Amino acid sequence: MREILEKALRNKKNSADYIEIRAEKKEVTTIHFQGKKLEKINCSQQTGGNVRALVKGGWGFISFNQFDDLEEKIGEAIKVASLIGKEESELAVISPVVEIIKRQLDKDFRQISLREKKNLMENYNNIIMKSNPLIQSSNVIYTDRFSTTYFANSEGSYIEQEKPFLSARFTAIAREGDNVQLASESVGTTKGFKIMEKISTKAQKAAFRAVNLLKARPVEGGEYTVILDQILSGVFIHEAFGHLSESDFLYEDERMSGLMKLGKKFGSPKLNVVDDGSIPDLLGSAKYDDEGVKTKKNYLIKEGILTGRLHSRETAAKMGEEPTGNARALNYRFKPIVRMTNTYIENGEVPFKDMLSGIKKGIYAKDCYGGMTTFEMFTFSAGEGYMIRDGEIAEPVKDVVLSGNLFTTLLNIEGVGNDLKMIESGGGCGKAGQGPLPVSFGSPHLRIKKVVVGGK
Amino acid sequence: MEKLLQQACKEVDSAELFRVKSKTVPVNFEVNRLKSIDISESEGKALRVINKGKIGFSSSTGSEGFDLMVEKAAVTSEFGSAASFDFPEEAKRSEKKKINIYDRKVEYKSIEEMIKIGEDILGRVRDFNRKLRCDVTIVKDCNEIEYFNSRGGNFSYSKTAIAYSMMVQQIENQDMLMVYSSIESGEDNLEVEELTSEIIENLKWGDKIVPVDSGKMPVIFTPKAALVLILPIISGLNGKMVLKKISPLTSHKNKKLWSDLLTFYSDGTIDFAAGSAPFDDEGIEMKRVSLVEKGEIKNFYYDLQTAGIAGVESTGNGLRAGSQSEPVPSISNLVMEEGKVSFSEMIKDIKEGIIVDQVLGLGQGNIISGAFSNNVQLGYKIEKGKIVGRVKDVMIAGNAIEELKNIAALGDKAKWVSGKYKFPHIYLKSLSVFTKR
Repeated sequence: MREILEKALRNKKNSADYIEIRAEKKEVTTIHFQGKKLEKINCSQQTGGNVRALVKGGWGFISFNQFDDLEEKIGEAIKVASLIGKEESELAVISPVVEIIKRQLDKDFRQISLREKKNLMENYNNIIMKSNPLIQSSNVIYTDRFSTTYFANSEGSYIEQEKPFLSARFTAIAREGDNVQLASESVGTTKGFKIMEKISTKAQKAAFRAVNLLKARPVEGGEYTVILDQILSGVFIHEAFGHLSESDFLYEDERMSGLMKLGKKFGSPKLNVVDDGSIPDLLGSAKYDDEGVKTKKNYLIKEGILTGRLHSRETAAKMGEEPTGNARALNYRFKPIVRMTNTYIENGEVPFKDMLSGIKKGIYAKDCYGGMTTFEMFTFSAGEGYMIRDGEIAEPVKDVVLSGNLFTTLLNIEGVGNDLKMIESGGGCGKAGQGPLPVSFGSPHLRIKKVVVGGK
Repeated sequence: MEKLLQQACKEVDSAELFRVKSKTVPVNFEVNRLKSIDISESEGKALRVINKGKIGFSSSTGSEGFDLMVEKAAVTSEFGSAASFDFPEEAKRSEKKKINIYDRKVEYKSIEEMIKIGEDILGRVRDFNRKLRCDVTIVKDCNEIEYFNSRGGNFSYSKTAIAYSMMVQQIENQDMLMVYSSIESGEDNLEVEELTSEIIENLKWGDKIVPVDSGKMPVIFTPKAALVLILPIISGLNGKMVLKKISPLTSHKNKKLWSDLLTFYSDGTIDFAAGSAPFDDEGIEMKRVSLVEKGEIKNFYYDLQTAGIAGVESTGNGLRAGSQSEPVPSISNLVMEEGKVSFSEMIKDIKEGIIVDQVLGLGQGNIISGAFSNNVQLGYKIEKGKIVGRVKDVMIAGNAIEELKNIAALGDKAKWVSGKYKFPHIYLKSLSVFTKR
């Protein structure tokens, strides 16, 4: 692959301000049980690539599955770039790198037969289906993917990285009459097959929670003091805040970047938020991002003050800041854009039991069905919820949907727990049609006042 | 492709090959200027086999060896579901009518011409207000589909699509007004005016923020927001959900559940609609399938495998999410019949209520149960029969299965949404609305 990419670049490299070629080979296995049945078992292979060219500040991009006419494709990308480019090209300077990165796995899933993988998932599926007569159905979805990415640019970089990924997602669906409830648990990892062999508790938990939700009454809508567990807090910081730290939408928008001005107070001094792609082997980790920039630890909020944001080479140059290693592409179909990697809130000091005290009527919201934000507005559905009454966790409630304004909500964080957990779930992050991109997120428990909860 | 199939059938009993070749050219304007054109060329093959009565599947992009695909499909068939169907011996349409889905003018539309359209859209909206931040996308899409199976069924077709979409933001202090809209067709007949007039109308209504109190009140869903109510029903009518008894609608076929006004169908034969084709993705004729008639569930929708298990005929709704996947029951196009009341008459009818136009969190949460709970990203307050301004920090919640029993009226002008849904305005007598106040 190296030869093909470098040869094409050699002949074309002076016809644009910058050119890069990325390629990817991957093998994907998917196993899906639904109810008692094996719904899908699937193996696919993909090879594809893309060219990105920069001319006078304009990017041209073309993705493809056929490599035979690579130089022509470079030509097409340059042509499109020239239609767009009308100013100076700006890219933060980095030193060219040549490196080949192999991954060691605790247990190599490519060596495990399809039958063995299927039997294991069948076993988890049986755990869900047999756990309770009220369990109506299930979804057990296992995916493994071994991809190798190839990166070469006109500045002389060549990087090959192996990127393994495994995930399992267990959903239990419980039903009593017309009341249907579901609960999910998931695991994602880059480390190898071992963890997949030890997750029967996740299957049990999904079933237990779904059955429990049948008893839950819909939450009464209103404004509450809310405690979020580590998962929901992690999703919150990723979705509601993290996306606003992505500079690609900020640098061209004075008004939005005004709202996200560095040095501005975002929360109490106990609040610290980090994005770090260099933590070894987490879902969002890689030594180099998809522009060949080395990843690192970036503080976004330090002691309550907005201190940093996430960059690609272009946004870093345009905003006069250092590149952070956050340009990521979902796969060869896409251009790298500014993305989070592993995003978390650092530990505070409040133990969980102290968080509850003093709450007369509040909500303990756990886990997450999904979340969505549009700039400062966010909305999340909790996967599990309980009323808090007089400082104690009380009856379960369902349909807990939290929504609000990010800036006010961050300022309303009253307590940051001391029990940080990094969440590696099987899902991922979506942005600009690129998802699910593997990321991890984490947080200790958070206590937030005045959160609007929708319900009946 | 036939040769490849013969080769495959040395290893397995029968096989089907589905191939997609496509090219997508999107011209993107961001923050009022041309930003990117990301061309995508792709090629993919999906091989589904039936071996010893069981289904196997594998897929690959264009360049990989076919041998490996056959081998993987054969291995997966060992654990595959028992096949409840055979591949169709011929792909034949009983209806004479030709379905138009390809327009040469779309395929050959030049990038320069697409740039001009984008500039025209930008110009019209920026003439209304120079301070707006506008994103516009003009995208054209051309697909070639080929299908062969070893029992003789085969078809192929080309299909085009073109779409104009726009998102406009007006940011003041910590408030952001965001309006988006899009129009789509298989034919090169889109009118810029249709898109820009809707955007400008919304910007006018949304200029002023007005308070609203929590409580039950009349709510009008615009065609754009109608999916909030219909998505849970679509998911409940899915033959697969019904077969597995996950759907709360399972035992309600031929029973009246909803308002008389509610009638909708799935129809893959509408000229130039996004979900139209002569056949679904496994060779079954596309047709009009009545789903709900006057509030009564008439049919669930099926693919071959699900229909086989349920002991019914496929409704021609076996669609794939691209060349890497097997067919599953999916909606081709969904059309809801219009009512008799105009949008402005609905507004006049309301003393105090809201209009919901855009929501956050569509399809989020436990939608199969019918429950929805959404932040209203763009909505308007009605007072004494008039739109008085935009609402903020408002949520709506309910259960679609319940709420559709209380339709006050349906609009008299249905509109295409996302190229495949056609909805009128839906006016509910009463829905829960919450606000921070």
